[in-house]
Amino acid sequence: MLIEYQSQRVSLWYFRLALVLFILQVILGLWLSINYAFTLPQELVNVFPFSTAREIHTNVLVAWMLLGFMGGTYYILPPECGRELYSPKIAYAQLVIFVAAAVTAVVGFLFGWTRGKPLLEIPFPLNSLIVVAALLFIANVAMTIIESKEKSALQWMLLGGVTFLAVMYLFGMPFYKNLNTDYYYWWWVIHLWVEGAWEVVTASIVAYIIMRVTGVDRKVVEKWLYVETGLFLFTGIVGTGHHYYWIGAPDYWIWWGGIFSALEPLPIVLMVVDTWMHVRERKNPIVNPLTWYYIVGLAIYHLVGAGLWGFMHTLPPINYYTHGSQVTVSHGHLAFFGAYALLNLTIFYFAMPRLKGINKYHDRLGKWGFWITTIGMFILGLVFGIAGILQTYLERFLDIGYSTAHLTMMFWFRVAFGVGLVFLAGVVITVYHLFTIKPSTLPVPEPVVAPAANI
Amino acid sequence: MTGKTARLIFWLGTLSSAAIFLWQTYDFHKQTPKFTHTDKLTEQVVAGKKVWHKYNCNDCHTILGFGGYYAPDMTKAFYRLGENNIASIVQHPEVMYKNSFRKMPQLGVTETETKQLVSFLHWVGDIENRHWPPQDEKFVEAYRLRESQPQKLDKVHLVLQACGGCHTFENQGRNVGGDLTAIANRITYDRQTLINYMINPQSVRPGVAMPPQDVSPQTAGTIADFILSLKSTKEVSK
Repeated sequence: MLIEYQSQRVSLWYFRLALVLFILQVILGLWLSINYAFTLPQELVNVFPFSTAREIHTNVLVAWMLLGFMGGTYYILPPECGRELYSPKIAYAQLVIFVAAAVTAVVGFLFGWTRGKPLLEIPFPLNSLIVVAALLFIANVAMTIIESKEKSALQWMLLGGVTFLAVMYLFGMPFYKNLNTDYYYWWWVIHLWVEGAWEVVTASIVAYIIMRVTGVDRKVVEKWLYVETGLFLFTGIVGTGHHYYWIGAPDYWIWWGGIFSALEPLPIVLMVVDTWMHVRERKNPIVNPLTWYYIVGLAIYHLVGAGLWGFMHTLPPINYYTHGSQVTVSHGHLAFFGAYALLNLTIFYFAMPRLKGINKYHDRLGKWGFWITTIGMFILGLVFGIAGILQTYLERFLDIGYSTAHLTMMFWFRVAFGVGLVFLAGVVITVYHLFTIKPSTLPVPEPVVAPAANI
Repeated sequence: MTGKTARLIFWLGTLSSAAIFLWQTYDFHKQTPKFTHTDKLTEQVVAGKKVWHKYNCNDCHTILGFGGYYAPDMTKAFYRLGENNIASIVQHPEVMYKNSFRKMPQLGVTETETKQLVSFLHWVGDIENRHWPPQDEKFVEAYRLRESQPQKLDKVHLVLQACGGCHTFENQGRNVGGDLTAIANRITYDRQTLINYMINPQSVRPGVAMPPQDVSPQTAGTIADFILSLKSTKEVSK
């Protein structure tokens, strides 16, 4: 048995559901690319428009991300606190409420039950259920930490991150009469999630996994964690301003937003450096190379997709032309996949074999999955990028009209559909591998630092 | 670096950024009435915003650059299309985009809802957002120019504003109803029939997709003269 506490088991259902939703999300994504690439009959568009498919694509994304974070938190919390979870029953109840709300929401979307607010389309009654689930989750996490004898910076960082995440969600719930105020607070949810709360959760979970796998000293890891999250929040909070250039807000946002958002790659660079250093200075041998592929892949992809793409796209003179174009789509895909899909997969590859009592797993299939998805998504990002630059140039720069720009882009979306199929294959392989993970027959290297010594 | 310094960096970074951001938020609320003309944010506009949400417009269209990236941005749609065109598109997308490579769903938006939506888009179009999106600024300027000095307008401008929502002329405008030069060479109507056609298309050609146009007979006359002048000389000499 590789898990130290029985209550860590609750995380398994979070992971399984997240993986199923991941596949659903990618299938919907393929459907969206068909909408771009071909002319669809009016009758089909009437019953299943692009807008409905898109709201499912994005909401399922958010749902599986959150399931991964919550499951990951439940997995690492007991060993980190040196005790069982406060209540596994609450953890299951919360999962049932969350999933019931999410499934009802998706079915509702198909019948036009929506708030019509991008990414936050879930209607108010279901939103209340989500809030209940979030409150149960935070209470469970907080009680586990409060009642533990061992206190660590990592525990508090994790609790802070998930609380921050939940509080921000509230700002998206009211109806705002003024469109510009509506979008002002919309970014409190979207931006302060992905460039704030989610980064804090990511940094904490990655710090934990690195500490456990490498045997590097806790003090060193926690120091990095403080500096990284400090910089994430310093640049990320005011960096929200890069969304306020064109919504009708005072001029100073151009400067504050532009400068702080240009600094946003810094903490990610630190994360890459820190991961790299810990791999080099590891005390324990590498047991599962594939888990390491994911940890290092996450750091590098995070830097490219979120950091580099985001940096270029949010410089105000560039953003004037690229804002709200396929360039945004390119950035969105590379950043979400690079930072958060890979984070979740890192968690799954760290936790799922252990939950099945497997120390060293057979990873041939998983490696195929890793390379197909990471390379596939990178090419997809480039294809969207080409489409976006074409669109920006034709529609915004040369000013020859939306139709011309989108007609020209159709070819690139046929390419995107093809690449998407390959990506889907990679995702299916990865999910299949995780569901059927088996022990490796190769010899397992002995750890130098026992995990327990590091708590 | 000691653990204490690391903690200090965390708290300094987080709190300073949060403080700046909260002050900016306060200032944002103070200045929003000026940037978005909240005095013109009537009940009708709010009702229009609810229509915008009800039909999930924002998951295909962007507005202020946010939303789905599938359909055109709606920030300055009022100035780009005008009230008539918005109404025609929203109520009869299957007709307006019959020949288009991209379709818009028939959503069953009522006439009242359409009016509310137009008020909403008119109000959004007036948000002072640093002239974004770049491609629509010419429509805003043209609209303001027409309002301030109608007598100085050049005919091409006038015709494109009135007809450019559906017809093209020298590669400008939207190609839904055909190119004006091609139409001029095809039709056999005289000036008065053409004027009647514009004001009530069904009276001249029953079953035609073109919606009635809200133009005065004088303006329609100017447009008719313009269109008839596009007939190539060869045709005329026949």
